[in-house]
Amino acid sequence: MPRSLRIAHLYPDLLNLYADRGNIRTLVQRCRWRGLAVEVTAVPAGDVPRLHEYDLVLLGGGSDREQQLVGQTLRRYQAEWRAAVAAGLPLLAICGGYQLLGEYYELPSGERVPGLELLEMTTVAKSPRLIGNIAIASAKCGTIVGFENHGGRTYHRHPPLGRVLRGHGNNASDGTEGVRWLNVFGTYIHGPLLPKNPRLADQLLRTALRYAGLPDELEPLDDELELAAHAAFLERRLQLSTQQTEGSHSPGEERLPAGHPSRPT
Amino acid sequence: MLLGVWLGKLMAWLLRLTGRRATSLPGQLALRLTPRLLSQLGGQLRRCVIVTGTNGKTTTANLLAHMMEQAGPLVHNREGANLPQGLVTALLQYTSWLGRLRVSTALFEVDEATLPAVAACLPVKVAAVTNVFRDQLDRYGELDGALGKLLTGLRQTQAVLVLNADDPLAHFLGLRCGRPVVAYGMSRSCVQTHSHQQVRDGAFCLECGTRLTYDGFFYGQLGLYRCPACGFLRPHPDVLGVWQGDALEVEEAQLPRVRYHLPVRGLYNVYNALCAIACARVLGLNAEQIAAGLAQFQAPLGRMQAFTTRPPSVLHLVKNPAGCDSVLAAVQAEPGRKVVCAAIHDLAADGRDVSWLWDADFEQLASDPSVVSCVATGLRAEDMAVRWKYAGVARERIACHPDLAEGLALAFAAAAQQGATVHCLATYTALAPLADLLQRREQADASQPAYRPSVS
Repeated sequence: MPRSLRIAHLYPDLLNLYADRGNIRTLVQRCRWRGLAVEVTAVPAGDVPRLHEYDLVLLGGGSDREQQLVGQTLRRYQAEWRAAVAAGLPLLAICGGYQLLGEYYELPSGERVPGLELLEMTTVAKSPRLIGNIAIASAKCGTIVGFENHGGRTYHRHPPLGRVLRGHGNNASDGTEGVRWLNVFGTYIHGPLLPKNPRLADQLLRTALRYAGLPDELEPLDDELELAAHAAFLERRLQLSTQQTEGSHSPGEERLPAGHPSRPT
Repeated sequence: MLLGVWLGKLMAWLLRLTGRRATSLPGQLALRLTPRLLSQLGGQLRRCVIVTGTNGKTTTANLLAHMMEQAGPLVHNREGANLPQGLVTALLQYTSWLGRLRVSTALFEVDEATLPAVAACLPVKVAAVTNVFRDQLDRYGELDGALGKLLTGLRQTQAVLVLNADDPLAHFLGLRCGRPVVAYGMSRSCVQTHSHQQVRDGAFCLECGTRLTYDGFFYGQLGLYRCPACGFLRPHPDVLGVWQGDALEVEEAQLPRVRYHLPVRGLYNVYNALCAIACARVLGLNAEQIAAGLAQFQAPLGRMQAFTTRPPSVLHLVKNPAGCDSVLAAVQAEPGRKVVCAAIHDLAADGRDVSWLWDADFEQLASDPSVVSCVATGLRAEDMAVRWKYAGVARERIACHPDLAEGLALAFAAAAQQGATVHCLATYTALAPLADLLQRREQADASQPAYRPSVS
């Protein structure tokens, strides 16, 4: 019997501002419905994350105060994080968690809160906050929809997760949203992210299964409700039709690293 | 000033004449003409009581209003219009055409985000904070922002603070405000033994960032908390409640216990009653006045409001995870089979972000066999349906229609078939339309006898 897929939810007690629990729930249920064994480890603040034991790591968003606390904790294990991400550890980072992957987060006072420096990326806090519904076009998963609420403007030269169709994205100026580099998925989109974007959820699962050395074929599921919610959101909330958005994404915005990343032995 | 008063009053009169609710629009119009109207009218008050916090403001304020009315007339924004225009509308009702306020006492429920803007305009003598939960994040920024707004607002007053001792965030407010505090809380005997996985908003010490430890939870983050690092801990309540079914015993230092009959259901409502009683005691009301006030209370719109439809139905307001969990627990405690009909809108007043649906504990519906069907409706019906699917509600028990009338029809059809009660959960802007639909159904059902005599 193949071993189970191991998902770690980092600091759910600090970083669960935007229902990140929903993302975990989505991944777990989509595994269970396919008969795949899955286990979730909630790593509370203060515990040392054992990165080599996980196949997929989730880092959510928190308020500024909580995010600073997490930043301090994370930086103590910077070397481990760098090694794990370079080796292809799948990482889903949302909002505050996404910002923490960069070099720093600059507060309105000019003070720079250092990040994990996993990505060549910086974030500067500015007002107004970028709040509202958002849709982006991605190469691998079609449209991705959700809600964004962030004061930070993020700039990086990695491939983005997608191009903004409606909403603000990374910085409200360059039309990019999120980051997609190595096996890192970073984004400002919550709401939560995965339930209404089942294709993205499955892409994450496949990435994690591959990394775990498990078969990455996923049985199709009945996604009628999920796709109805996705379509209703596009049409009712963003006045975009599903046909309009399909195929509108530009190629090449999302490049996977050459060769399948393999687990260090 | 007078122009604003006149037009505001005229508008209120016109709205009532055409049978509409005049809770905000007259104040909005009056404020546009006379921006300083709130302080001009508020300044004529002798004393003002404010109820704020995330959940339970309307119920607490209405309970307290009935108690305070035993002692004299009162201006009160009864229908929960808690923004400045709502306060002005309420004041205008008691203002003469010459701009004189005829009543000297006011009781306002005030939105947390509004508090800083109105606190200085009113002679606030007592300010109650029910609790500080996660609510409408996209409107106020994040939770720390909501706390900051409360703190800024309360500091502008000369009020005695009535605070929920069991809520670490409310207690923190008291420590930081520097105002005298009367704390209310539940007795240890009311600790919940079964604890669902719920979001604990204030699970970390606001003083030093260490994780709080709990000796027991009441609900959400409310409980017997303490910080292992810095000595921040739940204070002993000045007004202590012991909940016993439909009665609440209240204990104050040195005084004999007083037993009150409760007009409300559910632990979250017991907290509201306790908060109102604590305020009433601070205002110097006696046990008879408090009991008389409680007896006159009627559940406000959408707070377990029952409709005599066939099958019967109950309407509940839901707006955030903690409130929703309390409502779900109350629904499940009802006898018999239930159909849950959730109307989820995402207009500005609801909060445009519906991610809170994922923080609410809908898993408890999935595991309850008495919940026979779940119908999602409203502008974000599909999001609700997906949430239920992932909570583990069987696909065949989920139905979905974004139109409120159609969704409600589905729920009543399912309930009629299964012999169930319809429990409607509605977000803020879906509440009034749903109440209208239920009322119409009530009237239609009343005009049609349930059992027709045989005509053969």
